[in-house]
Parts: sequence; structure tokens; C-alpha cells
Amino acid sequence: MSECRHRWEMTNVRFGFIAFDRCFHCNRVKTYFWESTVPDPGDEYRDGACFWNRMEDAQSLMFDLRCTQCGRTESYRDLLGLLHCTSCLADCEIEIRRRELELRKIWVLVAFGFLPQAVEHPIPEHKLEILADYFNQRRDTSRSQIRILPFTLIKDLSLCRGDFIHDVGMLSPEPVTERRPLF
Amino acid sequence: MTTQELVDKAGLKALTKFTPRNVDGVFVSDMISDVMAGARSGNLWLTVQTHKSIVPAANMVDVSAIVITSGKDVPKETVDLASRYDIAIFLTDAPTFEAVAKLFELGIRPK
Repeated sequence: MSECRHRWEMTNVRFGFIAFDRCFHCNRVKTYFWESTVPDPGDEYRDGACFWNRMEDAQSLMFDLRCTQCGRTESYRDLLGLLHCTSCLADCEIEIRRRELELRKIWVLVAFGFLPQAVEHPIPEHKLEILADYFNQRRDTSRSQIRILPFTLIKDLSLCRGDFIHDVGMLSPEPVTERRPLF
Repeated sequence: MTTQELVDKAGLKALTKFTPRNVDGVFVSDMISDVMAGARSGNLWLTVQTHKSIVPAANMVDVSAIVITSGKDVPKETVDLASRYDIAIFLTDAPTFEAVAKLFELGIRPK
């Protein structure tokens, strides 16, 4: 067990796009990231019985975290993004914990892995703790803290109306005033 | 300089109630991904973005305040969310370049 009191910094930052595709037959959502300055046209395509259509794409980033003390590096290649809970379902486990934690000035973010594989293989809990440590080490934690919860706690993903913290419509000539539901 | 002093000296309009805190440097970007990767705790964040998603991003990196430039209309839901997180949102009619020049004139420097 390492005795290092890790101090995390963001490293290996890659800017690109994330896409949300939905199959209109089975209603599943598929997500992916590509490192580029150019958006993908998002054409419809068939894959077996599925017929995929682009729901949304957004500019985002991928990164790893590296300890400045011991050099340990954690890859976040499996992190699709962070979602801000909008309290859409009162009995969702995320919302229940958000309400509890907010009383202690602990703000909740929800970490998403890439779909659909993250449903079976979610981001390990220790990596979510490291990510929260990274944000908390950069802030005045006497005022407030960040806690990162896994998206697997969401009661019903198809009803989730949370907001991903990413850049939507930055390449559009018209400002985006409202986001479409993704699930 | 504190956020309250900044409001007074730079002629910013505060859209939220806020707890004054020290301003430590400036970060200018209209991209949330840029902010996540580059902004530091205590920075002022200057942007023309007004969608409510700027609030959790600002909260995540612990900026001292968001300054909306160019007199953009800020939706009520953005202001309400910022109030919940005690994130200060200030508005200026100045375009971003002029707002940065004013901050520099007031002695604010990169962190």
C-alpha cells in the first residue's frame, strides 16, 4: 500500500467530441469519444437489428490524473463525462444522496462511463474517489466539497434529465438555449 | 481584491447574492471543457456563455465568480442555480477584451 499523500494534477489532456447515438428499435444509447477538432457528421447507420441515430454531440475532453509526488497515474479513458443532477426524480438514489450531502455543503456530480459497456463495467469506485480528491485539492474545502457518485445509482436512466457538463452547440451558428433529453 | 471590491471598482452588476471571497487570477474561455482543464480555484471566469451548465462547471473548479461579458441576457434558471451553490455571477456590458483590460487596470494579474 502506497504511503504517498497523493496530489493530483490533470495530465494527457485530449480535446475532442463525445456523441450520443440512440437506436430507435431497442431505444438503447451508445456513446463514444473521438479526439478531433472536427465534429463527426453523425450519419444514421445500421448495426444488426439496431438503427442508430445521433442524439447529440458535444465538445469535451479526456484526461488522466497523475500524482505530482509519486508519479502514479490513473487513466480516465473510461470516463464519458460528469453530469449535474437536476433533481428530476425525487426517489432516485442520486437525488436522495444529493439532498443529504448538500446540507453539509458537499456538491454531487455523477460520473458516467461509456454506454453501453459501463452498465456492466462501471468506473471503479477508487477512481471516482481520486477524481473527487483532484477537485477538492484545488478548492477551499472549508467552504464546500465535491463528491462524485457513479451513474449506476440512477434509478431509471431512461427518465434521467441531468445535464452533462460539456459544450453543446459551440459550432452551431445559433445559440443553444435548451438541451434535448439524452436518455 | 475581493469579489465585492471588484463589483464596486469595475462597475459590475451582481446577479446573485454572494459571499465575498478573494479573486486570484482570471480565466477567459467560452468552453466548459477549457474551464475544467485550465481554470484554478479563485479565478474569475469571463465568458459569454449563459446556459445553466456553466454553474456546475464553475463550482467544480471553484472559481471566485463568473463574469458574463457583452451584456448577455442570463436566464433565470442559471441565476437560481448559481445562488444555490453560492456562485457569484456578475454582468458587464463591456466585451470580453475590454473587461479584461479593466481587470488588468485594477491590478488583477494571472495566478
